[in-house]
Amino acid sequence: MAFVGNSQFRAILAIVAFASFAVSCTSSAAGRYYGKTEAPSDNVLRYVSGSEPESLDPAIPTGQPEARLLMAIHDGLVEYHPKTMKPIPAIAESWEISPDVSEYIFHLRKNAVFSNGDPIKAQDFVYSFQRALAPEFLAKNAYLAYYIKYAEAFNSKKSFVRRADGSFVLRRELDAGGQTPEVSTEVFGQQTEFGKVLSGPERLTVPGDEKARAALFETDEKLRAIAANTEFVPVTGSDMGVEAIDDYTLRIKLRQSAPFFIDLLSHQFFKVVHQGAIEKHGPQWVRPENIVTSGAFKVKEHYPYDRIVLEKDPRYWDADAVRLDGIEFYPLEEATTMMNLYKAGSLDAVYNAVPPAAWIDTLKEYKDEYMDHPAVTLQYYTFNVTRPPMDNAKVRQAFALAIDREAIATYRKTTKPTIDFTPIGIFPEYEEVRDRIYTRELAKQGRTLEEWKARMFDPERARELLAEAGYPVVQSGSGWASPNFPVADVEILYNTSESNKAIAEFIQAQWRQNLGITVALKNMEWKTFLNVRKELDYRGIGRAGWVGDYMDPFTFLKLFYTKENDSSTGWYDPKYDVLVNAANRELDPIKRFEILAEAEFYVMDQQPVMPFMTDSTNWMKKPFVRGMYPNPQTLHPWKFVYIEQDPEKWDKNAANIMTDRDESVLSHVERLMQTQTERTAMRSQPVPAPETSDE
Amino acid sequence: MLAFILRRLLIIIPMALLVVSVTWGLIRMAPGSFYSEERALPPAVEANIREKYGLDKPIYQQYFMMLANVVRGDFGTSLRYQDQTVNEIIFRHLPYSATVGLLAYLLALVIGLAAGVMAALRQNSAFDYGSMAGAMLGLSVPNFVLGPLLVIVFSLWLFWLPPARWGGVSNLILPVLTLAAIYTAYIARLTRAGMLEIMRSDYIRTARAKGLDEKTVLLKHAMRGGIVPVLSFTGPALASLLAGTVVVEKVFAIPGLGNIFIQSVLNRDEPLTLGIVAFLSILIMVFNLLVDISYGFLDPRIRYD
Repeated sequence: MAFVGNSQFRAILAIVAFASFAVSCTSSAAGRYYGKTEAPSDNVLRYVSGSEPESLDPAIPTGQPEARLLMAIHDGLVEYHPKTMKPIPAIAESWEISPDVSEYIFHLRKNAVFSNGDPIKAQDFVYSFQRALAPEFLAKNAYLAYYIKYAEAFNSKKSFVRRADGSFVLRRELDAGGQTPEVSTEVFGQQTEFGKVLSGPERLTVPGDEKARAALFETDEKLRAIAANTEFVPVTGSDMGVEAIDDYTLRIKLRQSAPFFIDLLSHQFFKVVHQGAIEKHGPQWVRPENIVTSGAFKVKEHYPYDRIVLEKDPRYWDADAVRLDGIEFYPLEEATTMMNLYKAGSLDAVYNAVPPAAWIDTLKEYKDEYMDHPAVTLQYYTFNVTRPPMDNAKVRQAFALAIDREAIATYRKTTKPTIDFTPIGIFPEYEEVRDRIYTRELAKQGRTLEEWKARMFDPERARELLAEAGYPVVQSGSGWASPNFPVADVEILYNTSESNKAIAEFIQAQWRQNLGITVALKNMEWKTFLNVRKELDYRGIGRAGWVGDYMDPFTFLKLFYTKENDSSTGWYDPKYDVLVNAANRELDPIKRFEILAEAEFYVMDQQPVMPFMTDSTNWMKKPFVRGMYPNPQTLHPWKFVYIEQDPEKWDKNAANIMTDRDESVLSHVERLMQTQTERTAMRSQPVPAPETSDE
Repeated sequence: MLAFILRRLLIIIPMALLVVSVTWGLIRMAPGSFYSEERALPPAVEANIREKYGLDKPIYQQYFMMLANVVRGDFGTSLRYQDQTVNEIIFRHLPYSATVGLLAYLLALVIGLAAGVMAALRQNSAFDYGSMAGAMLGLSVPNFVLGPLLVIVFSLWLFWLPPARWGGVSNLILPVLTLAAIYTAYIARLTRAGMLEIMRSDYIRTARAKGLDEKTVLLKHAMRGGIVPVLSFTGPALASLLAGTVVVEKVFAIPGLGNIFIQSVLNRDEPLTLGIVAFLSILIMVFNLLVDISYGFLDPRIRYD
């Protein structure tokens, strides 16, 4: 998911921000609420969709603002809990999970229909998944589904290898060292022919393209020998691990144990779509006159770049509980424009990361409206470990130690300092386990957790490390100097934005002050920047941010997983992969966290990246908007949101909004959870039930 | 005259192709592509995308493919909005920009011409100094300052007018005022300068000598020559106004062409960028041609050969 801070064009409008800020300061004492505050009488919520959505097709857009819009009109197997974001039943009223967490059986509710009245069946999910993963569909989010067996092979046009006797070459026939371990071959749930095939040992797949295959065989003798006298059978959508056992039972078979997969299924990529509408209209199926949806709301109007008007779908299976009559999404991009509309009373909420940093002190005074809660994001700098001097772990550690994270957080206002790679306050259970494991691992090195946590800022140790790396830091006047350090080989590369620049300057000053090293700053336009960083074409240090895709620490830790990882550092270590594999095979959530923590320690000790802050949520909503929470991804399941006309019942003090109980929302969630709670009680599978607790 | 128009029309075609080619070259030189994201795409997905859009072909082949499409007037489908064609997007959003642009220019014309003529007739009077000082201010305050200032006063203090978005007449007032300011200033200054020059010319003296009353002198003789500089300015100004103004459309969240143009560049939406550039270049050339033609009607000294 693209990082939230990617706002361009700010430079030109810096003055705008300043001018409006001046006003916001002068008028701050005006009253309890920020600007005009009147609950809309038509029961229609007015919200922002970010830039014009790439598409209303749930399988296409990757941005978070679009995710919020798509959640309203498309429904899936599961839905986010409005506060915890853990999965709660949606079209699937319950599910079962196999003992090794590699197979899921979903039981669909029988009263779910599309907006045109057609029933939603298991086959519709099979179609939706196959369509989204088809290579010609070009879905950028396809990787989310790669946990499904053969999904990656299908999406990347691979082929099975079939012998003359009709049997398929298996993956394990090749040396499987370092690969993801195989999962159980026992069919879970109802036995079917396809289920047996699916559960069979994993087949070997090779590139479908002849050239790529030849190149691979060239380098791999064993593979070439195995593939002699065989034929190559392209992997198709129907080979994928998704099966409609009957109209209302769906099986998903994974290629690996993935306890977090159920969390992932709430993502818009896995929403159900209507085959008939898509086949009839092609790409134009998303136009308002053609679109068929499955969510609580349906599309009434869509004027690109101006507005998308949704209205409540009376046919929705949970329609009785949907409280808004409609939602209007405005595709706005400028933060100041959004804030102006909010203040003028033309918007009921702005999305996360909209209020500019300079406004925040003022906005925080509006305690009923401003949302300051932990977000599942991380900001860090990457080190290019493929080039000196950053190929030396001590240099990396020195740089990481020499910045005052508390000071950055104070300065940024919407962030909290951090040194680890999983954000603070999002995975409380994991954090508890992590402290324990870190203590254990550190003891092996003769260090303590307190020492580890001192890495928040330790300039003394930073200078020592730099000296050990061969770049002594000497006193120079009132400051420091490191005359040997190849300063020309290091610069901070960031994508152009006011806030990235401010942070880079801050960190630059810290290093100058604490290490006597003045690195250069270099900014690039977003897409150029992405390319340069990905190709490791940068000198020393690059800016990075990450937003979790699902509520599990692995959504962060996978950035270092496998050789082709997304860390943009060039760092790879097979030992890390071994740990991660072991963790994800683990049934017991606490034991799993223990191994994940060990993996996190392993990578952070080598410091290929330098985390320095996690974001807090930074948005506002009018007090009359209820059931809308600052959850870690600020994704709002709209069916729980409502407009409260009675000012007595408006939200008060947003600091407590996550712990205050809104009985009407809670009872709704509990009612939905019931079917799954009953199912888990019935067959006590050793599987963590989704959290229903509100605290 | 007809030959002149034909010649000019024919030049538009190669000129537009040149502009499109240069733009295409610039887009291709800019690193990154429409599919780059924070998360690197799996190589297989990227390969599929490159294959579908012909990005795996040699660069000269891609160029000629693009050119062939442009010559046919078909820019294809937007890369980002796959359910919409480029032509559809341009003609859907042109009216928004054109409405704001035309209204702003009309307002600028009325105020600017009146102020310019008055200032010229009463040269060195208090009105002259006052209006020219105002014009100077209009020229020097950029619209990205003026717009937000108007918003602050009329939307956030007084709550009279909406601060942004398309909608009714009330939504139009602030963007039109913001946009008109600088053009009013230009037109006022151009008119004043033009009128001052004309009022001192021989044929005005002749007209007065013939005993014509001052009103006829002014409206029938002086105005025609006096607004020629305004006319030269009107061509390109109107073309760019109709096609959308980036800053005003951004500040007021107007779904116009300028807004979309910038987004298309940021999204690396090549067909859309090329389509808008081609459309704008042709629009500007046509407006310039119209201006050149109209000179003949206003100023008898100008001949076409």
